[in-house]
Amino acid sequence: MAATLCGTLLAKSGWLPLTQCGRVRHMSKSVTRHKRPMHIIKQKLMAVTEYIPPKRLAAGAYPSQNKKVEVESGLVLLLKKEVKTVFQDCKMIAVVQNNASNSEDMLTLRHRLHKHSLTVKFFPNQVMRSFLKDSEFCNMAPLFIGSTVLIVSTQGKVKEMLSTLRGSPQMVLLGACVDGTLLSAQGVQHYSKLPSVSVVQGELVSGLTLLSSRTASLLRHHPARLSALLQQYVGQQGAPAAEPRPQESEGVAAQS
Amino acid sequence: MAASSKSSVVLKAVKQVMVQMCPFESNVRSTREFLFMVGSEKARATNMNCEVSTVVKHDESEPVVDITFTDGERLVMKGAKLTGQEMLQAFQSRCLAKDTQAQAKK
Repeated sequence: MAATLCGTLLAKSGWLPLTQCGRVRHMSKSVTRHKRPMHIIKQKLMAVTEYIPPKRLAAGAYPSQNKKVEVESGLVLLLKKEVKTVFQDCKMIAVVQNNASNSEDMLTLRHRLHKHSLTVKFFPNQVMRSFLKDSEFCNMAPLFIGSTVLIVSTQGKVKEMLSTLRGSPQMVLLGACVDGTLLSAQGVQHYSKLPSVSVVQGELVSGLTLLSSRTASLLRHHPARLSALLQQYVGQQGAPAAEPRPQESEGVAAQS
Repeated sequence: MAASSKSSVVLKAVKQVMVQMCPFESNVRSTREFLFMVGSEKARATNMNCEVSTVVKHDESEPVVDITFTDGERLVMKGAKLTGQEMLQAFQSRCLAKDTQAQAKK
């Protein structure tokens, strides 16, 4: 009652009591050696406004809007042109893994291959993969991992290549592209065992003419047999007519 | 190739290394890296009697490395889910174990 009376009296006089006067301060010191326990409201506020770091997104979930165009260097472009020329000109392109053969072995191998007009080419895998992904030979891309070497030929001498590679055990044939067809290592070996084109053409022609030649022989068979039989008959008829003549002559000789 | 080992590959206790792989598959990178490390000139120079053979297939089979040691023990590693470094570490740990055994016997 006293407080309300005081409040009304003071309000009329224009002096408002400070609200801080009514407050009871616990722990009067603000800077303490121990951690000051937070007021419950402050605790709630801190809990609500706690920092939550952003979660890492899965790769590719939000692709970047500005696509970074990788500009290839001049050397890479030059090498790509060379690779394109190789693929256009060469009938056979073999991919071989090179298990760190030394320079002498490589020189010997190149010399042996050169005798059969086979060339060894070295290109970086990055250049090969960037060329292959845009071309029709994209299925060859998995072969180009690690240290690889290309053996190319304009004439497709697969047999000679295989015989030369047998002498170098550290060179492993992975696959080849022969006449626009991608072959595995076993496919290359089967290809090497195939006969030459001229032999195959000759076999094809003989197979096709076999039927027509059989027809011709069948048609001629009956008249040929008839003529043979007639000749034999004539021969037989001629022989008995000739036999009595020596008997007559013997009879004449006996009478005389 | 990304794989590089600080310690060299020593094939003294190895009789034969046979690597089977299908190069058109996507899981042969580690096997090819292992083959590169084991088939290198330095590694082969440590033991001239060791055969390193490679069988290239095209049947979608898993890449397998079959190592036969001189005492008859075999180490078979399926490289589809392994890295080249892991394969090399496993191989080198076996070689080291055999080396210590041989030294202990002496």
